[in-house]
Amino acid sequence: MKTRVQKLSASAGLAVLAAGMLSYSALAATPQDVLVIGKAEDPRTLDPAVTMSNNAWSVTYPAYQRLVTYKVENGQGSTEVQGELADSWEVSEDNLTWTFELGEGHHFADGSPVDADAVVFSFERLLEMEQGPSSAYPSIEMIEAVDEDTVRFTLSEPFAPFLYTLANNGAAIINPTVMDHEKDGDYAQAYLSEHTMGSGAFQVESWEKGQLIVMTPNPHFAEEPAFKKVEIRIVKEASARRLQLENGDLDIAEHLPVDQISALQEAEGVEVGEWPSFSVTYLYLNNERGPLANEAVREAVSYALDYNGIIDGILLGNATQMRGPIPQGMWGHDEELMQYSYDPEQAKERLEEADVGGETISYLYASNDPNWEPIGLTVQANLAQIGLNVEMQQYAYATMRDRLDRGEFDIAVGNWTPDFSDPYMFMNYWFDSSRHGLSGNRSFYTNEKVDDLIRDAARISDQEEREANYREAQKIVVEEDAYVYLFQRNYMLPMRDNVEGYVYNPMLLDIYNIATMSKN
Amino acid sequence: MISVRKGGLLDGGYLWYQVRRSPLMAVGTLLILTVLICTAFAPWIAPHDPNAINLVNRLAPPSFEHPFGTDEVGRDLFSRVIYGSRASVGIGLAIVAISMTIGSAIGAFSGLAGGRTDTVIMRVMDVLLSFPPLVMAMALAAALGPSLFNAMLAIAVVRIPFYVRLARGQALGLRERPYVRAAVTFGARPLGIVQRHILPNALAPIIVQSTLDIGLAILTASALSFIGLGAQQPTAEWGAMVSTGRQFLLDQWWYPTFPGLAILLTAGGFNLLGDGLRDLLDPKTRAR
Amino acid sequence: MSFLYVIRRRLILLLLVVIGVTIITFAISHMIPGDPARLMAGDRATPEIVQSMRTRLGLDQPLHLQYLNYVGSLLQGDLGTSIRTGRPVADDLVRFFPATIELAAVALFFSVLAGVPLGVASAVYRNRWIDQVSRTISVTGISTPAFWLGLLLIMLFYGRLDWLPSSGRLGGDVTAPPFVTGMLLIDTLLAGDLAAFRSALSHILLPAFTLGFVHLGVVTRQIRSSMLEVLQEDYVRTAKAGGLSRRQIIFGHALRNALIPSVTMLGLAFGDLLYGAVLTETVFAWPGMGNYVVQSIHALDFPAIMGFTVVASIAYVLINLLVDLTYMLLDPQIRSVG
Repeated sequence: MKTRVQKLSASAGLAVLAAGMLSYSALAATPQDVLVIGKAEDPRTLDPAVTMSNNAWSVTYPAYQRLVTYKVENGQGSTEVQGELADSWEVSEDNLTWTFELGEGHHFADGSPVDADAVVFSFERLLEMEQGPSSAYPSIEMIEAVDEDTVRFTLSEPFAPFLYTLANNGAAIINPTVMDHEKDGDYAQAYLSEHTMGSGAFQVESWEKGQLIVMTPNPHFAEEPAFKKVEIRIVKEASARRLQLENGDLDIAEHLPVDQISALQEAEGVEVGEWPSFSVTYLYLNNERGPLANEAVREAVSYALDYNGIIDGILLGNATQMRGPIPQGMWGHDEELMQYSYDPEQAKERLEEADVGGETISYLYASNDPNWEPIGLTVQANLAQIGLNVEMQQYAYATMRDRLDRGEFDIAVGNWTPDFSDPYMFMNYWFDSSRHGLSGNRSFYTNEKVDDLIRDAARISDQEEREANYREAQKIVVEEDAYVYLFQRNYMLPMRDNVEGYVYNPMLLDIYNIATMSKN
Repeated sequence: MISVRKGGLLDGGYLWYQVRRSPLMAVGTLLILTVLICTAFAPWIAPHDPNAINLVNRLAPPSFEHPFGTDEVGRDLFSRVIYGSRASVGIGLAIVAISMTIGSAIGAFSGLAGGRTDTVIMRVMDVLLSFPPLVMAMALAAALGPSLFNAMLAIAVVRIPFYVRLARGQALGLRERPYVRAAVTFGARPLGIVQRHILPNALAPIIVQSTLDIGLAILTASALSFIGLGAQQPTAEWGAMVSTGRQFLLDQWWYPTFPGLAILLTAGGFNLLGDGLRDLLDPKTRAR
Repeated sequence: MSFLYVIRRRLILLLLVVIGVTIITFAISHMIPGDPARLMAGDRATPEIVQSMRTRLGLDQPLHLQYLNYVGSLLQGDLGTSIRTGRPVADDLVRFFPATIELAAVALFFSVLAGVPLGVASAVYRNRWIDQVSRTISVTGISTPAFWLGLLLIMLFYGRLDWLPSSGRLGGDVTAPPFVTGMLLIDTLLAGDLAAFRSALSHILLPAFTLGFVHLGVVTRQIRSSMLEVLQEDYVRTAKAGGLSRRQIIFGHALRNALIPSVTMLGLAFGDLLYGAVLTETVFAWPGMGNYVVQSIHALDFPAIMGFTVVASIAYVLINLLVDLTYMLLDPQIRSVG
């Protein structure tokens, strides 16, 4: 029997030894003509007419081209647009007809040229599929190919941000031959969910779920990029992404929590880029139901929160407190707008005025943003000081969305990033009473005056006039405490220090200009 | 050492004999006692308020002030681990109590009733048993909405068929015993027979099974919390703590380590005790 | 009790299971809050878009019709379309299943490799120190939360030592072999790619050890108790009286007989491992069925949850059938009794 036991321990020892020999990391940097990006999870789908997530746009944005794209000025990303596929465009007097002239030399990966028919096909597909991305084009009535290089959009009513929406990921121009892959009238949705059929610099070559997406250059793209291959690795654990970046197995690590990033700041060979972003975190206060339907209670809550404590303690200072709904850096932002600060005394007074106290209110959140829980715990502690109990309710994100949509919460937390660079993305989505629920007005805020102001602002074309409307509307909604505006976070992107040419654009989070980046 | 009447259960000599005979069972009992003390006296043992946040002192390493360190909002992890015993032990006991009561009742009834009723009940149980238990519990918990209470219900439901089988087996064996037959002959109500004759005699294996099951229930409940389908913040719960601690694994090793250790020791305590009880109560494996 | 009888019984059970499982999962999935149409349409979709999506998914039909539709397509091998991935659930399962089988198989190998000797030693040296040690190991295995053990191993072997990777199935420096079995350890060898094999092996070690360790206790306990039983049987005593050596008795007679009930256990253990892999896969981001179902639950992707449950339950019944048949083949006693 002894020998048996000895054999056992010997084999255990062997196993450990084998593990040691398998030591996998060679600490070799990635090849110079390959860019390796570490992503937290697979995109759900790559179909530009379906996906609403930046996580997928990392792949789709460089794989497709659009009529217009965001400008780059002196190496800085701008929120203004310039032509990409379109050389020029003109708009009719009544702002209803937009005509675009396509430029020369744009080809899909199969060599066929990008023509007006492809544009018409892509938009018709987008609108007929009626998925999330199509909601940015509420007013397109007709789209037609005037000739091979000219395409005309007819709108049912003037839509001021129209030009900007054409830089959206959803406005991608797709090769019409994709319809060869159509199954059961699905507009080739099944095929496009895993493949790309664009005219962008890189196309998806292979995708092994949960592991790796490989992108290779479009052979017919006008300029040859520096990279022969872009690998997007799925590395679920944030800590693993960080270590792999430190070890040089990754060139870019996405979505690291601030704690991991602060640990990276001293790491050798890694540079952490930091820029202000339009990604905001705010609290939805239920304006329609429960204790928060009372405006005085909303005001009390707004005074009770320790804004700087949240920013310094949870985000380690990598954020700025919001001042009203429109973030800093976007036109329409008002530096003179009222901004709350932590004032428990005021909060208590307001609560007494409202004759409210001892109520239990819910804080609805999900686990997809790790900051939502500590924010909730802070809200809970802050409101306890003024005599309001907060019950934390964590749900799967899908359930949370459902409850948001039905207004089953008192306070909920959310993040918002604009799809196009126009205050419309904040004002019209957050406050228009026709958008109650998940689709934008998540506080269930209703004010006819505000409705009029923001709807007008979406129709008129004069920017100054629009800005005036938005400023007036902002004053009202801040006065009425529709939301709690927490912070506008800094976008932080850790990269290996030999990666060059990355251009940050607040409209293009998680999207890399891989066609013009390089490594030395 | 406690010394009561010679030969009594609490007689020092007898206790010492049991400890020597089955040291693992003694260790198990000790572990369970420790956890139960934590449960009962948490406010006196814990040095801090488990829910008091302190954003300035977040993710602090273990120190004299905070033996297990602090979490991402600066709460004292030691106090949270102590308080966490309440959630885990409570849910473990509740799950077993529910599934054992309902399951044994159904099982005893089924075995006693026999015939078609028995067949139908057992087929239903077969179907339930072929569900993957953890996934079933996860789906149920997701459907009910995440809370410790719903996690408890979900796990209890999934465990019922095991007790049905166990109790039915016992009932089948006991049904043939003369005293049960006699009771049947004298026209006693089936429920009365179950209550008076079958359940008491089937008790020994059920006690063993349920002790082992408490360990399993604690593990499963912590797993649900780990996945995010159990305890809600700010309730201190070990599985949820490991889950949050996961993102700090490489830099703040203490965060997930101690709550997980607490799960291991508690579940281990019940499993050791259950193993020992089985040896004591099951004559077949009793020492020669 | 003939083979045919067992097979018929199991097939009837299979039918019941399919009916039961579909009804129950269907009921659960409709209790789950969350409108699938809303989920698919995306956050900022307008009510009109959500409504048209609802019509397209058939969600505006009465419940019993929806159920019949589901069962109807199920009979044609169509498990519906996943909300989360937008692909047919059947395709997803086929893609993720081999990874789970591979993990469970390696884990089973680990747990048997260590569990059988431990169990035998434990029974032979009953109540001696070796028994106590082996029982401590097995209770530790049974009581360890797999998700926590996985994290500790990652912390040690990845974080501190940097010997083994922390997640996934294959390293970035090698290319995936062509899909043959879907099990990378086999496919890499078939492709003759040793570097990829090493990478696959290094990726599977930690998750398989985690899963295997948790299961080790089950194996050890089973072997120990059946060994104890056999050692008390008459023929063993007779053999002892007949002057056979201890070693001859243990390995010649007792072990073989003790292993027969363990065959059942092995089969069931494999089933358990397949499901038990859920937590391990989550921790190691192992792209298998467990990971898939957890993500589906988070996304309330009920076609995927139902698909998984139906397939897993059928697999469970089939494994049981196989186990029963093997058992009957191995143990002539049982065959003749029936």
